[in-house]
Amino acid sequence: MASMNPKERRDAFADSMIAEGLLDQQFNQLLMLEEDGGGFLVEVIKLFCDDSERMISELSSLIDQPVVDFQKVGSFVHQLKGSSSSIGAHNIMVACMHFRQFCEQNDKQGCFRALNAVKNEYYRLQAKFNILVQLSREC
Amino acid sequence: MKPLRASTVAACFQELLGIGKQQKKEIPNESAFLRGLLIGKNILVVDDNKVNLRIAAAALKKYGAKVECADSGKEALSLLQLPHKFDACFMDVQMPEMDGFEATRQIRLMENKANASMAANPNASAAVSTYEWHLPILAMTADVIQATYEECMKCGMDGYVSKPFDEEMLYKAVAKFLVSKRIHET
Repeated sequence: MASMNPKERRDAFADSMIAEGLLDQQFNQLLMLEEDGGGFLVEVIKLFCDDSERMISELSSLIDQPVVDFQKVGSFVHQLKGSSSSIGAHNIMVACMHFRQFCEQNDKQGCFRALNAVKNEYYRLQAKFNILVQLSREC
Repeated sequence: MKPLRASTVAACFQELLGIGKQQKKEIPNESAFLRGLLIGKNILVVDDNKVNLRIAAAALKKYGAKVECADSGKEALSLLQLPHKFDACFMDVQMPEMDGFEATRQIRLMENKANASMAANPNASAAVSTYEWHLPILAMTADVIQATYEECMKCGMDGYVSKPFDEEMLYKAVAKFLVSKRIHET
């Protein structure tokens, strides 16, 4: 990595995230948009993380209720799935699709497990995004 | 001038741009051509999802379009009170309160009213009397199935793009409508 310029370092790190399966090809679209500069990538990642954390906390409290409002849960999951697919967060998107199915079946235990899967995927991605943001700021 | 079929325009475009031959990388000519179409155009993007909104806006701005965003159907309606400056609109289908279909129905209703009153007073504005309000509205949807497509057409949308859109698809869709509009005007 030492011989690379900052932009190459950032792109190499993004490529490694794609290779790991944390991100899909959609993220390449965002890298292409970043080329004009202006901190777009950092802004979108921040928007995504703020939004995801808000959804996760809403979902956690909804699922803790004695009577779960599955429709409300479903609409938050839909939101999270939308932003995950836009940013290319493949694993979160897949976890959301399973989550959606449990919602439709009014399966509280299933929803609980699905939420944990979403959380795990999110925190795994967030840790890498933090590094990517750092690398982007050096560009 | 004969009504121009969307399929004809699409066919012309496909030929012109070589879509379908699966061009992955941007070709400088194509990019410059589309930039020429989009530059200075006012485009409204409507989506309740902030991440989607930001990405769509960035993709269109890259090609010189002036983009405004609305995060609900209601806000879109208030921005689209006639007369407005927009050349095209991208509309999310699934939104809370007012979905994209309902917002489109209401936009068309406003346009029809304005067109009817223009037809009733042809002398009021002779210069623009041949111009009818019809904002090209493209649905943005994650599930491009036949039922969604039919619903889009039924409520008065002009087409759709699937989500997440890649940049290329997004600007091709807009370019199609801006071109057909230009032909209508000549």
